[in-house]
Order: sequence, then C-alpha cells, then structure tokens
Amino acid sequence: MKELNELILPDDVRFTEDHEWARREGETVRVGISDYAQDQLGDIVFVELPEAGSTFGKGDEFGTVESVKTVSELYMPVGGEVVTVNEELVDHPEYVNTDPYGKGWMIEVKPDDLSEMDALLDRDAYLRQLEG
Amino acid sequence: MKKTPLHAWHRNNGANMAEFGGYEMPLWYGSARDEHLSVLTKAGMFDTSHMAVVAVEGGDAFALLQRCFSRDLTRCVGALGKPLVPGLCVYGVFLNASGGVVDDAIVDQVDERRYLCVVNAGMGGVIARHLSEHAGKLSVEIRDLTDQVGKIDLQGPASARILKKVLLDPDTIFKGMRYFSFKGHFEDSPAATGTVRLKNGLPVLLSRTGYTGEFGFEIFFEPSRAPEVWEMLLDAGADEGITPCGLAARDSLRAGAVLPLSHQDIGPWPFLRNPWDFALPYNDDRTGFTKDFVGGEALLNARDADYTYPFIGNDLRKVPVTEETAVLDAGGNPLGTVLTCVSDMGIGKAGGKVYSIASADKPEGFTPRGLSCGFVKVAKALKTGETIELREGRRAITVAITYDIRPDRTARVPIQSML
Repeated sequence: MKELNELILPDDVRFTEDHEWARREGETVRVGISDYAQDQLGDIVFVELPEAGSTFGKGDEFGTVESVKTVSELYMPVGGEVVTVNEELVDHPEYVNTDPYGKGWMIEVKPDDLSEMDALLDRDAYLRQLEG
Repeated sequence: MKKTPLHAWHRNNGANMAEFGGYEMPLWYGSARDEHLSVLTKAGMFDTSHMAVVAVEGGDAFALLQRCFSRDLTRCVGALGKPLVPGLCVYGVFLNASGGVVDDAIVDQVDERRYLCVVNAGMGGVIARHLSEHAGKLSVEIRDLTDQVGKIDLQGPASARILKKVLLDPDTIFKGMRYFSFKGHFEDSPAATGTVRLKNGLPVLLSRTGYTGEFGFEIFFEPSRAPEVWEMLLDAGADEGITPCGLAARDSLRAGAVLPLSHQDIGPWPFLRNPWDFALPYNDDRTGFTKDFVGGEALLNARDADYTYPFIGNDLRKVPVTEETAVLDAGGNPLGTVLTCVSDMGIGKAGGKVYSIASADKPEGFTPRGLSCGFVKVAKALKTGETIELREGRRAITVAITYDIRPDRTARVPIQSML
C-alpha cells in the first residue's frame, strides 16, 4: 500500500471525492481514477465503460471498475456527452494500475458546463481529504 | 487488532493490510493476480500464523474427538475408510447441537493419546471451550495454543524442491509423505521431533496440506522464529520464483479449489447438502451415521435444509457479496444468497471447456482471463449446468451451477514427481 507521500497526484487534474480525476484537454475533459483509488483497489481486471454518445449528469454512474478484490462504480466528475472511451482497457485493464493518469484514462467527455470543473478538488484539497 | 510475528515484514514490503479474524493481515503485496498465478505455476508462501491450534491430549482424547468432530476416526482415511493413525490428518467440522458449524478443522493424530486441531483465526478459544463443555468426565487435557504456534504455508508445484533446500534431512522426511500426512512437531522434545528440523535446527511440524488446492505444505514452528523461517524460504525459493502471497490470493485459490471459508460458506446452519458432506460419517448407504456425535442427530432430523453449490461464471466479472446480493432463477424468482464470489485468475474458457494456466492439455497460446466462481446457498435443488443470475443492485451476472471449478489441481500429486 502506498503511503500518502508516495501517491502520484498531478497538478493538471481535478479530483472528485469518489477518487475520479478529470483533466481539461481543449474542449473535452478526460476522466480516470486516481493513483490512490487504483492502489486501494489492487489489480484492476475489468473496466466496464459506456458507449460513446451516451450522456450523463454530473455524479451519475458511468461504468464500473473491477479489481481482484471488489467491484466499484465510476461517477461522472462533470455532466456531458461521452465522446470517446479508452478501448485499450478491454485488453489491458492493468493500465489503470500502471499509469492511472496516462494510458489508464477511461472516457473523454464533452461537458455541458465546463464550470463544473471548478467545483472539483484541486491537488491540495484532495490530499487533505485523503489525510482525513 | 492482533499482529502475527511477520507483521513488520508485511508492512516493510508494501503489503495492503486488512483485518481478518481479529488480526491485521496482508491482502496482497504487489499484485494479487500474480500471487494467485504463482501458486499455480511456481510457488507461493503465506503467513498463516493467525490460525490457531488446539491440543487435545490424554487417555480419552480419541473419545472426545469421536464425540465432537464430524469424522469417524475409526474409518476416515482414504476411499476404503481406514482408521486415522499417527502421522495422518483429516478434515472435518465441529458442530453445535443444532448441526450448525462452530468451525472447521484439520485434526492431526500425533499418537493415540495426542491430537492437534488446526482451526481458523480467532477460533482457538472457541473450540477449546466447545471441547471442554462436551468433555464431561472424560480424562482429557485441552490446550488452546492460540499465538503459540507460528505457521507458514508453502504452496505450488515447486514447494517440495524449495523445502528440500531448507530441511535438515529432506530425503527421510519426504519418503512416503502422502497428501494429508505430517511429520515432526513444533514442540521441541526429542521423542516428538526426531530429525524433522530445518537446517538451522528448528523443529517443525510439516504437513502435506494447504488451502489452495495445489501441491504444498503447511509448516508449524515456534512463533518467534517466523521471520527467520520466512527469509529462509524466500532465499531458497528465489530461483524457483517463490512469491509472498496475501489473503486475496488465498481466497481466490481456495474458492477455485472448491474449499469452504468457515463462517462464510459454512456456518450456523445445518451442515448438509453442500460439497463438503464427505466430512460427515455417513454409513455406506447414507441412511445414517457410523457414530453418534454432537450435531449428528440434528442433521439426521433436518428437513428443508438449504443446498450449497459451487458456481462458475462465463468471464471474470463478479458481483459484490452484500446482504442484498440475490440468486435468481431464469424467470427472475429469488432462490437464495451468494456466500462467496471471487475471480479465479488462473482459469479461462476455450472451446467451451475450462482450462487452468497449469493444464497440460491447454490449447496452444491459451492465456487465462479469469472466471468468476464461488458458492451459492439456495432453497431448492439445482442441477449441474443449470444457469442462475447473481444480482446486486443494478449489476447482474449469469453463472452456472457446477461441481468443480479449477481443473488440473496438484494437491494430490505424489511427492516423488514434484522433486
């Protein structure tokens, strides 16, 4: 298990209280789960993602991530239309463990309201939440 | 929370820790999947010092176990039903008067007057009290050895080759060492221990048993020596690819081997109509039992007991096991509850058949993706192959009732062919 000071928490993403991250990339937002989440879940063995074109509100469940230990729901950091899903995760769910903010990304969303990003936690606020 | 003597090692080696049976135990170190696969293809080692041992000794030790343990010790060995003899051990359960499980155990016969009951974490006191309550006027001494015995399980096809390097006299010890037999003792008395020692002189009780379904050993010894034994095995197993394993791999390995977890798959309900009823002392035509024992009469009189079945999924997807998790028939009618649902990451389907990563006849290029498996408890009889739905909230998976899960397990392979 990683100590808090060993966690990778990039500055260019925002976090949810449920441990998803969201990164603005031009007009879209890329979404995945944090290093803390993947470390707690252990080996990710299956990621269930929505079809491109689906729309969800902020906080809606958009998929599940299954580890050796458990099954967890994934929630939308911002509302909008899913424009792309990471098909690589079908064959390589372990990317979520090995590169949670890179190759382990899950969906790309065209947000209804980009300002919803502002309500998410920045690195320091997320770290404070983890510190409890 | 209690700690085993290896707690510091687990922490220092990055284990993800969790509470189990009152102890803080490792769930996994790096990857539970790799740990699981290592036991199927190489070797894994587990800290199982949280488990408890209860010694039952004296002129009436045999009589007390005949009264309380579910096996008839006069006819429990092998297909022919031979008596338990010194150096052999047997799996069974301790039942309450209602036929519910207090705990399961492996009972070792040290000699005619001395037995060891290896029970689950936190259960040493419970089983010692249970035995005392049923001892009546019998002449017997019951000792709860909780936290007084260190235990490491070495499991997987390379286990004997690794153990050979750390035993003082491996050739003598391994000779004729069949499945469910043991040699030596963890208490250092010359009569008990003889030459069953590690190279550092430490006396051990070495048992050809385990909880993975794979070839291997359980090693019992004086608990303060656990870090030393652990490091010895790690060193000796380095070139065989030995992997320290946590409870997650232990759970998925045992489920794939159709072994129950006490207090989850068996518990305070009648121990009947389950895959483990071989542990009951049925007579040949299964109309009754060959001995009277605590809980036996309740089982013979039980009506409408639930059925417990193993199941296997179509892929590795699981459902979380909560109080709301339901078992449904094809028409959506509730049948019962899910006891265990895990993924055996060492198996997969090819051409409709289940293969293990260790199967000799697996198709070329076969890589297991994992299959979900576990146990359900249902109110009516189901047939092998029948499909059921497991549902938790909005998540549902379709699985099939089966009688076995992971093929080509190695637990019973003769030791000579594993050296």
